[in-house]
Amino acid sequence: MPFFKVIRWIIWKDLLSEYRNRENISSMFFFALNVIFIFSFSFSLDPDTIKEIMPGVIWVAFGFTAIIGLGKSFLVEVNNDCMEYFQTLPIPKGAIYLGKFLGNFFFMMSVEIVLYPLFILFFNLNISENLIPLFLISIVATVGLSALGTLFSALTVQIRAREVMFPILLLPLSVPIFIGAVEATRGALSGDPLSLYQHWIELLAVFDIIFVVVSFWVFEFILDY
Amino acid sequence: MAVAIHGITLSKSFRHFQVLKEISVKIDAGECYALFGPNGAGKTTLLRIFATLHRPSAGRFEIMGLDGKQDRVKVREAIYLIGHGSYLYDDLSVKENIQFAIGIRGWNPSDLEIKKALDQVGIGRFAHLRSRYLSAGMKKRLSIAKALLIRPKVLLLDEGYASLDERGTAMMNDCIRGFTQQGAAVLMTSHERAKTAEVAHRVGVLNRSALTEITVKEMLEADALF
Repeated sequence: MPFFKVIRWIIWKDLLSEYRNRENISSMFFFALNVIFIFSFSFSLDPDTIKEIMPGVIWVAFGFTAIIGLGKSFLVEVNNDCMEYFQTLPIPKGAIYLGKFLGNFFFMMSVEIVLYPLFILFFNLNISENLIPLFLISIVATVGLSALGTLFSALTVQIRAREVMFPILLLPLSVPIFIGAVEATRGALSGDPLSLYQHWIELLAVFDIIFVVVSFWVFEFILDY
Repeated sequence: MAVAIHGITLSKSFRHFQVLKEISVKIDAGECYALFGPNGAGKTTLLRIFATLHRPSAGRFEIMGLDGKQDRVKVREAIYLIGHGSYLYDDLSVKENIQFAIGIRGWNPSDLEIKKALDQVGIGRFAHLRSRYLSAGMKKRLSIAKALLIRPKVLLLDEGYASLDERGTAMMNDCIRGFTQQGAAVLMTSHERAKTAEVAHRVGVLNRSALTEITVKEMLEADALF
């Protein structure tokens, strides 16, 4: 089906380009590393404090990573007028969005998976028993962030003040994601049973669906004139 | 011969600046129409309207009998634009760029077909070179290779000779002849009268928002076109 072929080609192109230049992933990773490093020296590392601050620290790091990485995601499409080529293609433009979104989700998740061991290292965090819930929370929150980030990256890429406009658009709308992610992460790190913070994960999943569907629909109008 | 491109009283304004005023043009399948005009006359704007990149402020157009506004997807199946941008990804090789550009349209050309197209435009030996290392002329040749593989019914060529050396220009003209012989319509903008005369069937001069049609002979004999 052409729709899925378009998605596959976009993901192939983005992954191959990123594998070769490593621009996006490395800037995301080093920025997050910097955040972790600063926070680890700012707070005392006693277990109670760690439990209190860690959800916030984790999602501040991931949030800034999203701003750094997702903001650039459409830059590669304007460099040689590739957006113009997309516009003239006889394909559903939503498929381009889904391809970019899935590529961004993959980049974000890759960085997050690498960052978790660093949280353990810098904050003496014990997450061995909560790995699966934390991974699940990361996935549902990152889907929402990637969905919004991809849309706003496309929206702001052609404007001069894109570096200012991108976080201005992304951050207010991603507040529900951050609230849900922080609360669910707090529950997971405290060792609570899943049923106690499951509603936060469900809330994140609902926002994921809304953001992906709305962004998919809006993208057609962004690209087509 | 069927009409491939039909612009009907097309006008285009950017804010209060009128670029095109009630332009009408008919280009048949198998015909090469060359568009001349001073910088800023609106040649690229007209091409971009036919490429569905700009909406006309007034008037309408048809590509292969399909309405440019109502049947945009089908119009886009018929057209291919070689514009000022190269539409290339710097970190993909020449071959990978072609695979992507054609693959995203739903068709996977074989390695042999890609090699044949690249050889035809003279960059076959650079197939595995990343496109960031290509010169502007090589990028233009790569765009032509893509067009050869896509085989559009309508080729829109914006300053097709720009960046090309003498051999590249001859190759471009060979390709244009090939397209028109296969029944495709070519609408090209140009500033090169002699080179264009080798392939153009008709000529239009776009100046001060209006289009005047002249013959190829008149184009060659005129002291100045505008």
